[in-house]
Formats: sequence, structure tokens, C-alpha cells
Amino acid sequence: MITVSVAGRRVPLSPSIVVRTARAEVARTPRLLKAWYGLLLVLMGFGAAGAVQTIAPGAESFGTSPSFEWGILIGAYVFFAITTSGLCLASSLGTVFGIDMFLPLEKRHAILAVLTLTTAFGIIALDLHYPLRMAFGAVFNPSFSSPMWWMGAFYAGYLGFLLVEVWSLFTGHDQVHRWACLASSCTAVVAPSTLGAVFAVLFMRSYWYGLFTPLTMVVTALLGGSALLGIVFYVVVRLRLAGFERGRRMAIPAVRILLVVGLAGSIALLGRSLLAGLTSDDAAMHGATMALLNGPLAIWFWLRVGGGLALPLVLLALPRTRTIGGTALAAGLAFVGVLIDRLLFVIAGQIIPTTAVGGVVSQGFNAYTPSLVEISIVAGAFGLVAFVYTLAERYLDLSESDVHIGFRLPAWAVRARTRMLARARLVVRLPLRRPVEASETEGAR
Amino acid sequence: MDSPVLPAPPDHSAALEDRRISRRTILKLGAVGLPCLASSSLIFDWLTRLTTVPATPNAEPIVANYDPTAHRWGFVVDTDRCIGCGLCVVACKDENNVPKEPEYSRTWVERHTTTADGVVHVDSPAGGINGFEAAIDPAVIGGSPVTGARFVPRLCMQCENPPCVAVCPVGATYRTPDGVILVDQDRCIGCGYCVVACPYGARYLVPAGGDAPRGTPGVADKCTFCYHRITVGRRPACVEACPVGARRFGDLDDPDSDASIALRGKPTKVLKAALGTNPRVHYIGLDGEAGA
Repeated sequence: MITVSVAGRRVPLSPSIVVRTARAEVARTPRLLKAWYGLLLVLMGFGAAGAVQTIAPGAESFGTSPSFEWGILIGAYVFFAITTSGLCLASSLGTVFGIDMFLPLEKRHAILAVLTLTTAFGIIALDLHYPLRMAFGAVFNPSFSSPMWWMGAFYAGYLGFLLVEVWSLFTGHDQVHRWACLASSCTAVVAPSTLGAVFAVLFMRSYWYGLFTPLTMVVTALLGGSALLGIVFYVVVRLRLAGFERGRRMAIPAVRILLVVGLAGSIALLGRSLLAGLTSDDAAMHGATMALLNGPLAIWFWLRVGGGLALPLVLLALPRTRTIGGTALAAGLAFVGVLIDRLLFVIAGQIIPTTAVGGVVSQGFNAYTPSLVEISIVAGAFGLVAFVYTLAERYLDLSESDVHIGFRLPAWAVRARTRMLARARLVVRLPLRRPVEASETEGAR
Repeated sequence: MDSPVLPAPPDHSAALEDRRISRRTILKLGAVGLPCLASSSLIFDWLTRLTTVPATPNAEPIVANYDPTAHRWGFVVDTDRCIGCGLCVVACKDENNVPKEPEYSRTWVERHTTTADGVVHVDSPAGGINGFEAAIDPAVIGGSPVTGARFVPRLCMQCENPPCVAVCPVGATYRTPDGVILVDQDRCIGCGYCVVACPYGARYLVPAGGDAPRGTPGVADKCTFCYHRITVGRRPACVEACPVGARRFGDLDDPDSDASIALRGKPTKVLKAALGTNPRVHYIGLDGEAGA
């Protein structure tokens, strides 16, 4: 008989016990949560149905073509991969640099990072026609001149560091955890940069080509990761989940700062890109920019600019909306904005034809319409992340503590920070709404 | 929404006061952190340099008793001669089991029409496989009077500095010593990176169906100069099919080969020379062509 250890007691594990426990758990689950699970399961089923369609290599289940080889699956992969990095970048301020207000981002970031990265790998496996060949080929026949190989290597290493980080976080191996945090935080910069380089080295694709593409990936990663944390912590605070008080006091303000930095950086880089595109003599660069501003991609582009950049920044800037709810709304808008942005990035880079094979190219745009299969896989990916994260939130202890502080600051920095905090308290003069009680950190899971 | 209450910063000063850090730790943190912050530009620079290094061959010749080091294959397209009949496209599809759909083509024919305003308009109905109608679609040329037109056959440029080889993550695309870019279709993972990286649009991923080479759909495919033919002394199928001798092929090291003779005869140019890919396919008659 297989047994499991629960609260120090050995419990026999048999199919009947598992079924009985599952039934009891389902009965105990609140109705609203059941509806949420149901919605996510439908999304996941939709995604699974689409995924089955892609298993046969070469099956024309995607809307892509030789002149538009990378579609929304590549865009979604980029989105999930950079979101992972953004989560790590956000939490590294607490875990690596020891800044207090970013510490509550740690456990939830780690779970989300592992989830989004494995989802990204799943999406790319479905997009590739021979993922197993890729795994073996990358190991036994590596091509060091390929940015894609390096991207895979860095993200694989990143996943390893993240898994060690999660393991050490939940098992209390502090020393291992510190180094895992440092390693994953460094990789969180290197990996999206290399992902940017996959596009940036393609000199024949002017819209992607150049130094600013990796930089844009990193800044967008910070924005995407921070936005996801903003959404999650809003739910944590609203539903009074584990550690909600720390989340309200520290995580939400931390996310607010990160969002402002990410939005400001994204706006600056977008402005540079538009300026470069509008003044470029290169037909592909100029054409792609015009496709965004006033062409077939204009609706999505302006939706991203207005709803994903400007509106969140306004929400975060105005005192009236600088609340938990306002921050969450800004985070949600920014999150969707980053998704649209990455999809547009992939599409705009290919929208100007390079040849006339099979048609007319003069002054035209390449056409691409995502298939239902592609859309279902992307929807299913979101459902999967949300479903597994909900389970983690419900069954894991996600309350944070100071135990996991990474590297200590030097004494002068501690003194300076103490002075700064004291000054800030004098200026703000806003006490906590009510004292923190130990029971609150347990939450109402 | 909640009332706009700014939370007070937490007071961890007491807990932090006793945390001391050694100079060594600071140095370690700096040594790791600073390079990470600067890595975006460095990685880009490094990968750019890597991808511009000419690739080295990494595969054995596929035909016994053929010495790839003894040849340097080249191709010359004479646009002054091409009549746009599309027989080359038909021959290529038949010879190499290329899918019939025009978007999947190892070779195709474009029509470059110059109008009075100096603009070159490009069209290629069905990849030119059925030839071209004499009347040009007004939608293509925008109503401006036509001042000239020529047919421009296209194929893989077999670049000496091929971006497709540099970007392949598993080395499935490689360059042979005789200068032909091939795809190991048993190794290709179908990522499409080479398709996106090709400046000439000369690659595609094989769709499922009867046209899949060796039963492996989803892998990259492209013109190989009919490698299975040229390594046994024959000419590429498109060259043999061309009724007007617009496609010339041969060993560039052999002064008596068709390609060498054609290169000596008239001035030639290569497509998108500014990219530095150094194509092995040369064009006659494209002087002044924009967008070539």
C-alpha cells in the first residue's frame, strides 16, 4: 500500500481514498470557485482540442504561410516567455537586492514564473513540428551561431533555476534559495535579451533588426510581469487570501512603482521605434510602421497605445485612481496591452513582402489571419496558467516572510534606507488602516 | 474602488540593522549584476557577429564518388532572354516533388513592370507557372503608362554568407564545399527560422500530403540546384527546361562552363547586394532595377 505523509501521519493512498478525498474537496469548494474552475476547464478543453490538431507535422491547421511563417503562437510564446522574466525581474528587487517592499512578490512570482515558462515551452512545442528533434538536436548537434539555440539554452537554464528557487523556497533551504534567486534574476535579464536577439539579428527584417529590440523585450518583460503580479495581488487582497495584509501594504505599492517604470520605458521605446520607422528610407521599416499607424494593424496598435499604455499610466498618476482597484485595473490593461504588443511585433516584422512568389507585391501587405486552432491554443494557455495557479493559491502556503531575504545590504545602505523610510513616514502620515495581526497572514484560503 | 490611501512603508529597520555584508559579497554582487544589466547590447553585438561569420560545411557529400571540393557551382539568369513561359517552374515542381500550390515554390518567375513615374511594379500570378497574360492588371501598375517590363526568374541564391545557415538552431541547414545550401530534412525541427531569415523568400515549410519529401512534412525545403542531378553530371531541371537559355548553370572554376561564359559576356548583378550575402546566382539585365 502506498502511503503519504500528512501532518506527520502516514496515510494510506488508495484509489478509493483519492476519489473520496476529491469528492469531499469538490463539495467543500465554494460555488464561485467552482464556476471559475469550470470556465478555465472549458478554456483548457478548447486549447486541448486545438493542440490535437497540430500534432501531425505539416498539417495546415495554422493561418501561416511561407511569406508569413510566424503567427500568433510565436507571439504568444514571446509573451509568456517575457512575462516569466518580468516576474523574476520584479521579485529580484526584493530577493536579490533586499528592498523590503518587493519581498512579498516572492512566492507568488516563483509559482507564476514556473507556470508561464512551462506554458511558453508548451506553446513553442506545438508550433514546432518536431519538438523532440529540437530537444535532441539542441543537445547533440548545437549550432552556436544561432540566437535561437542560445535562447533555448538560457530559458532551459532559467527553468532549472526557477525550479530550484521554488523547491528551496518551500523547503526552507535559505542558502540554496539565495543563490537560486540570484541565478534566476540574472537569467531573467539574459534570456529575454536573447529572445529579442532572435529577431534583432535578422537584418533582412528591418522592423525587428537592431539593438533596441532586445532592450524592448526586457522593458516589456518588466511591464508584463509586474502587470501580472498586480492582477494576482489584487485578487489576493480582495479575497483576503494568504498574506493579503502584506500584499496590501507592500506588494500593491511595489507593483505600482514597477508598472510606472515599465509603462514609461515602453512609451519611450515605442516613440523611438515610431520615429525611426517614419523617418526610415527602408521600405520594410517604413511600411511596417505605416501598417501599424494607419494600415491593417492600426486598430490593434491604437488599442494597445490607448488602452495598454496611456490609460494605465493615467490611472496610476491620478490621485483619485491611485488605489488598489485602480492599480489592478491599470495592471490588467497593461497586461493585455503587452500581449497585443508582442503579437503586433511578430506580425509587423513580416507584413512587408520580400518576394512576389504566388502573387502581387507592389505596395501590398502580406496577409495573415490566425486560424481557430491557433486562437484556441493561446486561449487554452491562459486557461492552463490560471487554473494551475488557482490550485496553487488554494493548496500551497503562499504567505511570505522575511526569511527569504536574499543578499544583505551594506550598513551605509541600511542606514540611508532607514532614514529615507523615516522621512517618508513623516511626509505621508498615513498609518495602516488597522494593526496587522498574526492571524491575517494566514489568510482565508 | 478603494479610497486613495497610501500605505505606510514597513518598519524592518531593527531586523535589518544586524545584517552586515562583507566587501567580498558586494564585489560578487557587482561582478554578477553589472554584466547582467549591460547584457542586452553585448548579447546583440555578439550574436550579430556570430551570425555574420560564413558557415562551414558540416555534412558529408550525399553522392558517392563525387568530390564537392572540386567544384564551385554558379547560376546565371539572363533576364534579357526570359519570356516568362513558366516551363522552368513546371520542371522544378515535377523534378523535386514540390507542392503544386504557388506559395510553395523552389523557383518562380516574377514580372517587373516599370512605369513612367519610374516605379517598378512586381507581380507573379501563381508563381508564373502558367505564364503571364499580355495585359498587365491595372491594379498592379496603378494606371501609369508602362515604359518597360522584364521577367525575373527567382530561386535560392545559394549565398556564400547564408543567413539561413547561421540561424538554424540544430545545424539542419548547411553549406556544402561546392557552395550549395542543403537541408537535412531528417534533422530539421520545422521552426521556420530559416524561412523568416531568408532575404529572398526562397524557403518554405513542406505541407502535409503526398509532396512531403521522405514522408517528413513540416520541414524546410528550398532550391538545391537539383543537387541530385548536378552531382552526377547533369544540369538542374529548370535549366534543361528553359527553351530560350535564360538559365545558365555551371562550375565557376571551369572557364568553359555555361555559367562562366555567361558571366564573362555581359555585366551582371546580384539581388540585394547591400545585405552582404554574396549570392552565387547572378542576373543579367537588371541594371537600374529598384527592389531587385
